[in-house]
Amino acid sequence: MITRRDLIKWTAVAPALATGSQAAFARAPQGLDALLLDERFSPEPAADYARIPVMRFAGDVTGVWYDHLDRRWRDPGYVLGGITGSDALFVLETLANHHGRRVVSRTALAEPNIDGVRPVSWVIAPHHPSVTA
Amino acid sequence: MALPPGLSEVTFADGIAEMRSIVGNEWVFDQPADLNTYRDFYSVLWGEPEEKHASAAIAPANVEEVQAVVRTANERSIPLYPISTGRNLGYGGAAPVLSGSVVLDLKRMNKVLDVNESNCSCLVEPGVSYFDMYRHLRESGSKLWLDVPDPGWGSMVGNALDSGGGYTVGGYRGHWEAVCGIEAVMADGELFRTGMGALPGSETWQQYRMGIGPCLDGLFRQSTLGVVTKMGFYLFPEPEAALSTSVEVFRFEDIEELIEIMNELEYGNVFNGMPGVSSPVLSQENPIAMSIVPEPDVMNRMVAETGHAAWRASFNFYGPEKVIRAQWEHVQERYAHFPGVKFTESSFVKLPLSPEDLERVQKPRFGIPSLDIFSVGSRGYGNFNPSDGHIWFSAVIPRSGKGIIDANRVMRRECERLGLDLFMFVPSVTCWTRSFVLFAAVPVYKDPERNRHLRDAVKEVIGICASHGWGEYRCPPAFMDDVMDAYSFNDNKLRRVNEQIKDALDPNGILSAGRYGVWPQHLREGREA
Repeated sequence: MITRRDLIKWTAVAPALATGSQAAFARAPQGLDALLLDERFSPEPAADYARIPVMRFAGDVTGVWYDHLDRRWRDPGYVLGGITGSDALFVLETLANHHGRRVVSRTALAEPNIDGVRPVSWVIAPHHPSVTA
Repeated sequence: MALPPGLSEVTFADGIAEMRSIVGNEWVFDQPADLNTYRDFYSVLWGEPEEKHASAAIAPANVEEVQAVVRTANERSIPLYPISTGRNLGYGGAAPVLSGSVVLDLKRMNKVLDVNESNCSCLVEPGVSYFDMYRHLRESGSKLWLDVPDPGWGSMVGNALDSGGGYTVGGYRGHWEAVCGIEAVMADGELFRTGMGALPGSETWQQYRMGIGPCLDGLFRQSTLGVVTKMGFYLFPEPEAALSTSVEVFRFEDIEELIEIMNELEYGNVFNGMPGVSSPVLSQENPIAMSIVPEPDVMNRMVAETGHAAWRASFNFYGPEKVIRAQWEHVQERYAHFPGVKFTESSFVKLPLSPEDLERVQKPRFGIPSLDIFSVGSRGYGNFNPSDGHIWFSAVIPRSGKGIIDANRVMRRECERLGLDLFMFVPSVTCWTRSFVLFAAVPVYKDPERNRHLRDAVKEVIGICASHGWGEYRCPPAFMDDVMDAYSFNDNKLRRVNEQIKDALDPNGILSAGRYGVWPQHLREGREA
């Protein structure tokens, strides 16, 4: 289960993600195992976000899922933060639930929608006893 | 929590406690945050009192646990609603048809039990997703393909049981057609196998589907009669190459012969991939939504003014390069007499796909699961919020030019009259051979008032389609009774026979109550009125 301490740690990350700026990322990722950036909303090239691995995609989460998350989410642990479109988060949240994980924080961002898709920052963390570290 | 109808809290709690002892405490879900994951996120009843909610969810790890859970439920008349992964969004998702049912979540039963390279078949548990199987085949060095739906995140078993479809070769892309052998836990907890699986020691369970006597696989399709725990499938041997082509014709009146020849070529095995029929001139505004078919002279004038073809038939070929090139040549010969006909070879690839080809091809056409379809809204194909979702309206129509034109006109006209939005409209889907299925994606909302209007409109469209002889092959739970009602031959004998079978095999009515309009006896009294 998610501990109160974990929850405080991850929800503290979310407001920093919500700014969407590189400067905020540089400060924010303590407690995250990886960051996921949707290039539709974050076109800047990947930077070194305090040595947190950054995965990038552009709307279609197939590669991120097949190459990374499908494996990572079979094992305990792995806290993932992201700034993505709401469509991508919907897919990831459904897959996360199936693997005993929950969206523990989500914030709609102020950046403009793209073709009706809203940018969102979020944190997905292990929830079920089978995957909590 | 929504308790099952007619069940006391004490009995329900006793049953859940027993199930907890069977599967382990951590695999029983009865807290609101957990149960929220078993909602139908594309429900047309979202947030309304009638929305279907699970009372709890149980996730067994193996067949023995499924049997024990089913026996526990049967002894107490607790309704169960089995799901494989619950990803059939647009058709109900993970939510039960009967509120208060306990969802039997089979996601932990996710083993690929066998892949037989020489027989080109496999045997899987219900929690195996298309991504799981694709990974298994690739990492084991298999030379076999599986056919995948789009998106490919769901269960092979669940999608086949719902008669889902994919995009590769006939005999495989209709997923129910590719099933060979089923194991199911019946309502009394006993284990049942179809086909050659009923013969101990048989090595042909995934080779010969029928076995002896009546073929009972159909008992489990879109059904309320068992919990499927194993399923066999035929797989396609990876071909040497794939070729995609199209034939464009430029007159309204060409459609009938275009499809007649296409049918003859497919049924005669001249091509084996999924064909398609579209109208470039009627899809200028939206490539995934054909507009209404106008009168012939109007359409022909549009063709002359724009230069777009009136109709396009697409052909896909999988096999040795020499063979598929010869097949394509023959297809061109068959259409050469159409005035102004245009032939296009849109893609040819050698297999296995190179990394470059993998990036540019439409993955499901090559048996590769994808999630790309969820970002379709951001490509500007429709002004809808993807997180609100959609439902599918999927009617079986005749595979003919007249079939397309009639269904297009009726649906377009009636949907406009009823104020029913469509963000995708394709009247000629060919995942299933021998007929077209008209697909319309109808946006749903989180607004009860708009959804109320949507439900009324869809029910009216179901009736209108039925009056033309078009019935849905699959539908969301909110419309299952209406769709089953439309299959009304001989005073709804189809439903009455289903009810007789239901009463015989599941007398306490514990499995999937209400699915596709088949209710157990204690819940159907009064419905006839």
